[in-house]
Amino acid sequence: MEGMDKLMTEPVIVLKDLRKRFGIGDAEHYAIDGIDLTIHKGEFIAIMGPSGCGKTTLLNVLGLLDTKIEGDYELEGHPVGSLSARRQASIRSNQIGFIFQSFNLVSRLNVVENVALPLVYKGVSNLNRLKQASAILNTFHLGEREYYMPHQLSGGQTQRVAIARALVNNPSIILADEPTGNLDSHASHIIMEELSDLHQRGNTIIMVTHNPRLTTYASRVITMLDGKIDTDTAIQEEAKESAPKIPLGQPAKVSKQDRQSKKRRKNKRGKGTRG
Amino acid sequence: MVGIAIGVASITTILTLGGGASSIVSKQVDALGGNIAVVRPGAASDSSLQDLTKLSASQHFAASTLTETDAKTVANVANVTAVAPMMILTGAVKADSTAPNTTSIIATTPALEDIINLQIQDGQFLDPALSENTVVIGPQLSVDIFGTESSIGKMLTIKGKEFTVIGVLKRQNDPINYNNVDFDNSVIINENSGRTLNQGALQVQQINVKSDSVAHLNQVIIDINKTLLKNHQGEADFTVLSGDKISQPTSNLFTAIAATTTSIAAISLLVGGIGIMNIMLVSVAERTREIGIRKALGASNGDIVAQFLIESLALSVGGGIGGYIIGYVLAFGISSFLPFFPIFTWEIAAVAVIVSVFIGTLFGMYPALRAAKKDPINALRQYD
Repeated sequence: MEGMDKLMTEPVIVLKDLRKRFGIGDAEHYAIDGIDLTIHKGEFIAIMGPSGCGKTTLLNVLGLLDTKIEGDYELEGHPVGSLSARRQASIRSNQIGFIFQSFNLVSRLNVVENVALPLVYKGVSNLNRLKQASAILNTFHLGEREYYMPHQLSGGQTQRVAIARALVNNPSIILADEPTGNLDSHASHIIMEELSDLHQRGNTIIMVTHNPRLTTYASRVITMLDGKIDTDTAIQEEAKESAPKIPLGQPAKVSKQDRQSKKRRKNKRGKGTRG
Repeated sequence: MVGIAIGVASITTILTLGGGASSIVSKQVDALGGNIAVVRPGAASDSSLQDLTKLSASQHFAASTLTETDAKTVANVANVTAVAPMMILTGAVKADSTAPNTTSIIATTPALEDIINLQIQDGQFLDPALSENTVVIGPQLSVDIFGTESSIGKMLTIKGKEFTVIGVLKRQNDPINYNNVDFDNSVIINENSGRTLNQGALQVQQINVKSDSVAHLNQVIIDINKTLLKNHQGEADFTVLSGDKISQPTSNLFTAIAATTTSIAAISLLVGGIGIMNIMLVSVAERTREIGIRKALGASNGDIVAQFLIESLALSVGGGIGGYIIGYVLAFGISSFLPFFPIFTWEIAAVAVIVSVFIGTLFGMYPALRAAKKDPINALRQYD
């Protein structure tokens, strides 16, 4: 960890003895039971663990959706607990991008309006909103689907729209709650490639997942158990390449193949759409 | 939304018709040149709301506090050029056929013609030089009892006494005026005949006073007040009015329309407001997930409140605009049965908009606040 501190720049998120309690009296239960965690800029963190271990709760706390917490949470050096609701909303608007398992597009808005939604709360004018949303959709090769309604898209496309929406206001932190949970393995793969791509461009990504295969994309894997951090492993780039992928039906080389195919696709960017 | 539309329609109708009615009276007052004052029985009422809801026709059952003596006293006030007391009687008016019960029998002095500028179509007005048993009648009454408007020289009986028609008034088509009398449907007799018909005594319902110039009118009013107070032992049981105050709507018809439409407007605005609140509450419940998404994407509570308030405002203002149009049509529809036209001013449109904005905000605030208070995590968990 100390070595990483030197490599990485300033910490983005610092948690000290974080606790989150549900219920009162004899129904009292700590979903998060004393977590100390430091997350640096540019990390790709995968949080794993069994159901009910507090992963999603942790993500909600990190995303300032849940602020009734005990312990300290510092976001970019500022303690979060003392912030007003308005200020928290503005942090969500400017610094945090959410990607959900169930996509959570607004069903009565079309694709480009959905992507433009976060910009509404930054006070961007309507025309500029649509321009920016359109631009980011093009980088996700969804330019032709701008005026589709969410129900007209496939699961993978929907999740890419959701990622585009999470990225449209250039957040420094991306929180993904089982982003591939509702997708088949092919679509999951494309989504993970997108996230990996974002990571390489320097974004901080915190992803909750059930699927151990997806941890191969992460730079650091945290497993949780009963509201506590069980293991915290940094994965070195070299180790990542050489270490045997966790076999889950498919051999590791598929991943390599995909990386190559991704490079090919990168070269072809601008010529067409995929997915 | 329909409720708001009905409410605003009622408000529009009431205001335009009210405006039409009072503008007729004020036009009459203006036409008289601004040097007319009117003395009426009863103390002045402070609020216009009372004027709207009280029964205005005191003449049929309440004894007037004004007397003939008062009329004579007023005539002696400095700068007063003409005084016409008006005494309104009821009784059967008969000729070839019987006149309707609503016919007013007005006993007055010849000065009335000059003061309120009565136009004569045929013949002449009352004249002290002529026999006391002469009358001037309204054109509609003439048609009703003689079958023609040319009734000069014909005889009619009032309460069994015979009178000769010496003049027919020009048709005014003006049942709403500050004299509270429909001259088209009235018979005007001499003061003395009136006294004879009413067992030797007369009640004065109104004294019309003309001063020699507009500039002197205020002083005249003050003087009348002083002298009449002396007559009435210091009790201010009369009112001296001039200008716009005369023109406050006096018609029973208008009062009835106004009272009904006001209550319809109030009820339907309330019902419409509650309707909007219901629609908004359903909408908030349906879109709980959307609220969660928006909050996760950076919407503050204020943004959510604004979003739902704007929606309820759109509903209520939409209803308001619809209601204004309905009210516009309705006012013209009703006015075809009335002797005046509705008057539309920008103030009425502004009232329609302000009322609907007010209702939209008032009843939209609770659903909007409820939406804003939703916990984003629970909201996101809602099944879509």
